[in-house]
Amino acid sequence: MARITHLFRYPIKGLSAQPVSRVSLRQGGGFPGDRMFALARPDGLYSETRFVPLPKRQYFMLMKDERLAGLTTHLDVDTLDLTVRVRGNIVLEANLGTPAGILQLRRFYARVLDLPSDALPVFAQQPGYNFSDSAKASRQLMNSLSFINLASVRDLEQRIGRPVDPLRFRANVYLDGLEPWEERRWFGGEFSAGSVQFRGLEETTRCAATEVDPLTARRDIPLPRLLVEHYGDDVLGFFAEILADGELHIGDEVTVAAQPSVGDALRVGGAPRVGTAPRVGDALAEASDIPFPVVR
Amino acid sequence: MTTTRLAVRILDKRALTASVFSFTLGAIDEAGADVALPAFDVGAHITVATPGGASRSYSLNNDPADRFRYVIAVRRAPDGRGGSASLVDDTAVGDTLFISEPRNTFPLHAASRYLLIAAGIGITPIRAMLRSILAVGISDVHLVYLTRSVEETAFYDELTDPALAEFVTVYHRAEHNGVPFDFWPLVADPGESAADRRIFCCGPEALQDEIRALTMHWRPSAVHFEDFNGVSAFGELTSPFTAVWHPSGQRIAVSTQETLLDALRRENIEVPSSCESGTCGTCRIRLIAGAALHRDVVLDADEREHYLMPCVSRADAASVDAGTADARSTGERAGDAPTGEAAGHASGAEAAGDASGAEAAGDASAAGANELIVGPLDAQER
Ligand code: FES
Repeated sequence: MARITHLFRYPIKGLSAQPVSRVSLRQGGGFPGDRMFALARPDGLYSETRFVPLPKRQYFMLMKDERLAGLTTHLDVDTLDLTVRVRGNIVLEANLGTPAGILQLRRFYARVLDLPSDALPVFAQQPGYNFSDSAKASRQLMNSLSFINLASVRDLEQRIGRPVDPLRFRANVYLDGLEPWEERRWFGGEFSAGSVQFRGLEETTRCAATEVDPLTARRDIPLPRLLVEHYGDDVLGFFAEILADGELHIGDEVTVAAQPSVGDALRVGGAPRVGTAPRVGDALAEASDIPFPVVR
Repeated sequence: MTTTRLAVRILDKRALTASVFSFTLGAIDEAGADVALPAFDVGAHITVATPGGASRSYSLNNDPADRFRYVIAVRRAPDGRGGSASLVDDTAVGDTLFISEPRNTFPLHAASRYLLIAAGIGITPIRAMLRSILAVGISDVHLVYLTRSVEETAFYDELTDPALAEFVTVYHRAEHNGVPFDFWPLVADPGESAADRRIFCCGPEALQDEIRALTMHWRPSAVHFEDFNGVSAFGELTSPFTAVWHPSGQRIAVSTQETLLDALRRENIEVPSSCESGTCGTCRIRLIAGAALHRDVVLDADEREHYLMPCVSRADAASVDAGTADARSTGERAGDAPTGEAAGHASGAEAAGDASGAEAAGDASAAGANELIVGPLDAQER
């Protein structure tokens, strides 16, 4: 019985996860409001007018700038009102729809990121573009959703003997009720979640951004390295594209429609469950049983 | 280990509380005259070889203008073991101690306004800072000093003197029904710049974590901790070293705060990268000479002879001075901080110091001590 337990958008690259309870998806589109903005390095290659997709290190992000995790941000993706809090205390309110609000944001993060006194991060926004790490690879990947199987995260926790906040992986969709790692067998095929049809594109190789604890903003677990040590590669999660419009809700059932033959690439996980598409029975009754903290 | 070669005499030893003892140290020549000691700045510490054999680091808390005295405060660990207990139990006025020269990993930087935060024995460097700040005429300074009770408060009378009342808050949690001190009103304003307002904090790890979490909206360079400097987040020792870029011979200093990859990029040497965690293999460069500490999971033993992943790997400071192992496991900062913090602090300071000062050991071939000679891949290696 597989179901969606959490949905998140990350409106500004590197900043807080924002839970949503449901979302409308369009064929060929991404997760609405996800990574719609980024803060680009002031001495870097980002150009507002001559934009080309850039490697992630051209932006401020958790792989390098773990301090970003220490602030709780919330952007209303409709009004563009941004609120930044420290332990619940508001430290910035700005409207990112206005030049003045954007300047406030840049000044604020220049301070947090300890930029030289004359430098400000560049507010990056490009119509039709989102700043996910995979956006540089292809338009198809840019407009995909990222998925995490929570059972795989729990298996990882058991192997390394310490808790791993699933938000380290900053996925859009979190699934539960699957076998650990079974997604590695079927991610390349089609599956449905709620009323939406997906096709898996690619597995997610993890980078040093996952080393940062999203609550303490400290780099504390060498996750990519531990993944390699325990499983032989640095994969956790996958990307999938939307084949047909629909809505996703927390609690929606996930059904793997066509299971490809058991992948050769599979190195981990239990026995294959070919032909036994996961089903959700009373999943909705459990849907409120959120297994990891999401709000500070 | 840190060299503790400076001989000093215990000139005074007195109890500040039931468990905290103040030691006044000085050097006396054969004629009985005071000898000037190496100068220090506020925030500096010395390492003391205790009679029991272990070395411990303690902040100096006297006025740096006094060239003839070092004053330290030692908290005797309650379990009665370890270097602090030995220093308290096994010494008397007139004894000779061997100490290191002062070293400062917690210097007081200039600002117009200060917030000072101390808990327990962490008051020692902070007290010296308060005096030094007031001495230059800055009045926008506030000290918050957290202790368990009046009896356990070192320098209680001095810091509760009415003349200091407007600058000092002494807070005993036990007297507030266990409610922790609310720092938010004091840290809400991050100042215009580091030159405007700074925080100095010395205390156990839990306090440092709390203050760090509460100051995420500050410029991090304005918030100073007597901290883990030199120990990476993954519990490994990180020391500064020098990288030599082979094609140009350029010498690049790599600090504890950056990776070799960062340092190369800073000098406009382009090395591709992806994971920056030693797992993807993208950033591979050639290792030409020097003892490397390989931390990646992509290179096998043979490859490690000739290649290095600069996103995680560094020079191996341990090969330069294997003697730091003792300091790492037993180092103690000022006596009462929790073990993790204490060991982290002392080991960082000592390893960094030793690594730069020690003779080369092992076969670093053409590379000097704590130095790596590296270069780009050949075209066919890419
Ligand atoms: S960037 Fe991946 S191993 Fe260095």
